[in-house]
Amino acid sequence: MFISLQLLHMSVFSQSFSPCGRFLAAGNNYGEIAVFSLSAALSPDASQASQKPILNFTAHDGPVFSLLSTDTHLLSAGNGEISAWSWAELIKKVRVSCSVNFINLILIVGGGDNNIHIMDMETGIFKSVLKGHTDYIHCLCFKEREEEILSGGEDGAVRIWDSRTNRPVHCIEVFKYEECARPQFGKWISCLATDSDWMLCGGGPSLSLWHLRSMSPTSVFPLPGCQREAVFYQDLIMSVGEGPHVSHCLHGGTVKAQIPCTPSSLNTLALNLKNTEHRVMTVGGSSHQIDVFTNFSYKAFSLSF
Amino acid sequence: MSSDAVKKRKPKVIRNEEGTPETKRGRAEGEQDVLVYHEEVELEGRDPQQDYLLYKDTCAALAKLMAEIQELKSSGAKVGSVEMEERRRQCSVHFITLKKLNRLAHMRLKKGRDQTHEAKQRVDVLHLQLQNLLYEVMHLQKEINKCLEFKSQHEEIELVSEEEFFQEAPAEISRPHVTRDDHHQLTLARLDWELEQRKRLAEQYKMSLARKEKIHKAIEQKREYLSSLQPGLQNIMQASLPVQECLSMPFEQMQKQAEVARHLPPPLYVLLVQAAAYGQACDKTLSASISGDVDEAKALSRPPEDSQDDESDSDAEEEQQNTKRRRATVGVQLDDKRKEMLRRHPLSLCVDLKCKDGSVLHLFFYYLMNLNILTVKTKVSTTTDLSGAVSAGELLNSESLLNCLYASDHGQETPNPTNRYQFDKVGITTFADYVSDLGHPYVWVQKLGGLQFSSDSELMGSALSASHMERTMKLLQGRLQARLALHKQFSSLEHSIIPVSGECQHLFPAKVVSGLTRWTMMSYQEFTELGFVQHVLKAGLLRETDLFFMAVVERGTARLLAAVVVNPRYPEVMPLFSLSLHWKGERSGRTEDNLRAMESEVNVFRAELQGPRPGFQLLTNQIQRLCVCLDVYLEMESQVCDGSEGPKEFPREKMCLRTARGPSRLKPFKYNHPQGFFSHR
Repeated sequence: MFISLQLLHMSVFSQSFSPCGRFLAAGNNYGEIAVFSLSAALSPDASQASQKPILNFTAHDGPVFSLLSTDTHLLSAGNGEISAWSWAELIKKVRVSCSVNFINLILIVGGGDNNIHIMDMETGIFKSVLKGHTDYIHCLCFKEREEEILSGGEDGAVRIWDSRTNRPVHCIEVFKYEECARPQFGKWISCLATDSDWMLCGGGPSLSLWHLRSMSPTSVFPLPGCQREAVFYQDLIMSVGEGPHVSHCLHGGTVKAQIPCTPSSLNTLALNLKNTEHRVMTVGGSSHQIDVFTNFSYKAFSLSF
Repeated sequence: MSSDAVKKRKPKVIRNEEGTPETKRGRAEGEQDVLVYHEEVELEGRDPQQDYLLYKDTCAALAKLMAEIQELKSSGAKVGSVEMEERRRQCSVHFITLKKLNRLAHMRLKKGRDQTHEAKQRVDVLHLQLQNLLYEVMHLQKEINKCLEFKSQHEEIELVSEEEFFQEAPAEISRPHVTRDDHHQLTLARLDWELEQRKRLAEQYKMSLARKEKIHKAIEQKREYLSSLQPGLQNIMQASLPVQECLSMPFEQMQKQAEVARHLPPPLYVLLVQAAAYGQACDKTLSASISGDVDEAKALSRPPEDSQDDESDSDAEEEQQNTKRRRATVGVQLDDKRKEMLRRHPLSLCVDLKCKDGSVLHLFFYYLMNLNILTVKTKVSTTTDLSGAVSAGELLNSESLLNCLYASDHGQETPNPTNRYQFDKVGITTFADYVSDLGHPYVWVQKLGGLQFSSDSELMGSALSASHMERTMKLLQGRLQARLALHKQFSSLEHSIIPVSGECQHLFPAKVVSGLTRWTMMSYQEFTELGFVQHVLKAGLLRETDLFFMAVVERGTARLLAAVVVNPRYPEVMPLFSLSLHWKGERSGRTEDNLRAMESEVNVFRAELQGPRPGFQLLTNQIQRLCVCLDVYLEMESQVCDGSEGPKEFPREKMCLRTARGPSRLKPFKYNHPQGFFSHR
């Protein structure tokens, strides 16, 4: 009975696909990480049991807000600590111990101390700090072509940093733009995404598409709630946030479709692009269930913690 | 010649050697035998072979003569010529010879026959003698056999063996010098000895019989004496009652109870014994007693033969009566059958459990004879008056007080699977209809009576009862105490006071502004119709046996509705809250993440909220925490929603590090003691 009580009050905060694309790791508010086997869940003879995690372990004391996959490891961030787990071990359903073994990787961490820290994964030493935000940082993304870091935070500003010189390049205060601002919600930015010259940002202000060269918003999406995560996919923009649906939007600013899903509000959206067999989209939020979309227009089934 | 024939016949009958008539005549004339011509004598002298030859010759001569005569006659000689006469004379002579020969032949034949006859006669006589002798032999043999087979009665008597005989018998009887040689004497001696011994033993037997009679009489006398003592003892017992009470050693009571207990049906007996044992060993406040009609119980256990005789008589009477009366309808018959099936044993057990505060839980156990199950009815008696809490009406309702003592033990259906078939016969669809009348057949009641209907454990009877007794009694007491505590809490909740005990004050900040304004009970129907509890229904955390309440917490214009599900097994199972907030619109835990976080704050953290053992503070702590969370929620609203810049309705008074965290921007609902600030979990 206690387990069903826990399930009733569970929220999924983060997701990440494995490097091979066959497994999904999800983190919840109790600090647990569950690994699901997508190949089992998507196979034709999938049963109730294949929608349950193959491995479920407690990673942190507090909620697992962020999950990130490298080629070999899964990084999870909790309330102040970052842990790394080996995907190979996770797949083998072995209760893993924390291990760090990276080569030539850097990790960019945005933290509650208003700063962005850059860490060398191999040695585990923080190389540099990017200071500039006045409030804590919610989201980060990376522009590979220009090697720029974008960060959005509670202070409502989207800052663009040059990763080679570690210097701020631009600062956009989204809430100051009338077309985007929604003072009834606040000024915080909770989601950021980039695609070459374009940037998506949203949160308190409406979700808006920005052209980075001109630093101006080109379209504003009329979505009612606060958006928590948005991604570019082909020529669509998909975003999730408050409200039990996934919004498909076009670059022009129109909302093409809103697909209903089980959780009453969604925290995280993930696309499995690494594996062509298991090309799915998964969303998780205020529920113990994670919806899986095989065709992005409707929900196929749900995985459950 | 007839006279010849007669004469010839006579000699044959008389069987004389003299067979011829001449000799007979000769005898009759006198004794001139020597001169009488006996042709037989001549016969003996002649040789049959010669006679045959003579016969042949004579025949040949005759033939020749005849031929000559023929010749003569043909040659024309005259009849009566000398030659012919001569020949004729010769022929006659020959004829005479032939006749003699014939006679001789006949006589020889006769003689031969007579001789044979004689010989035969002799042989017959001898044969007869032989037969007589053989017959006698046989007879004698039979007699001998009979004699040999004769079993005298003496062989049937079991005699002692020879060695024993020689050892034991005195010399005058055994007479070894004689008997050792003579078997007959030996047997006689043994028989004598046997007879003597038997006589002696018969004597002993008579004497023993006489002694037995005497002892019998003595016993009778003593018995009478004892029975005369009985009234005296009764008087003494009566007189000693006050002494017993004084010394609190209720021997007589226990004896009486033991006497009545003999008539209890087996499950009730097991229950009584185990409960009394448990009471003596672990819990002095437990008491068990028997109530009901003992005579009826005795009547039930009477042997069936008497009742059968009675039945046949009464059947005969009844039949006569029935033909006069109208036959009862089918429905009434079925009703009677049902009543018969659901009949209770006249004796019932009453177990009283006392709690520390003086309230008593009375349990009445009944045994349904035909269904072989035990049922229980309850009654609660408290020291203080319990009126005043409207919402607490259901708490101590005797129908539902013991619901789900063990998980999912509803007591609505009979646990005995064979009852299903019995019910089908009399048309009872569910036992639930009769539960209020007959009591609840909980599974733990069956186990306490030693009745095992599932194949869970190996135990039966007393062992089963003993293994469950302690736990069940503790659960019962816990249940009563929890309900009484709830009762008290409800009466203060209805007055809008949340009774938080001193030990739990540290869970909450000093100042709590939101207050409980209403606490009411709801029915299952009303509860399931609420919109914001559907997720609980879907998750299967609701049962019809649960208790449902509605709490309203208010602060300023904000009104929080909380629908509470309390499991009968409170406080083992936490009450479940579902929230709906009416403040600038309606929000519920389904639409807003912060309300959901509040629900989780109140529902999940049992270890913090349950307070000191035995955890009766759980519900009130949950309600208090709900008020604190509402305070935090209202104060942490970052922006006024309608865009105006006016003063906020709820000024922030709570200390916290961050107002929002995580993608869902949850408020800090966790209270930290003793620093007094709020943080996120």
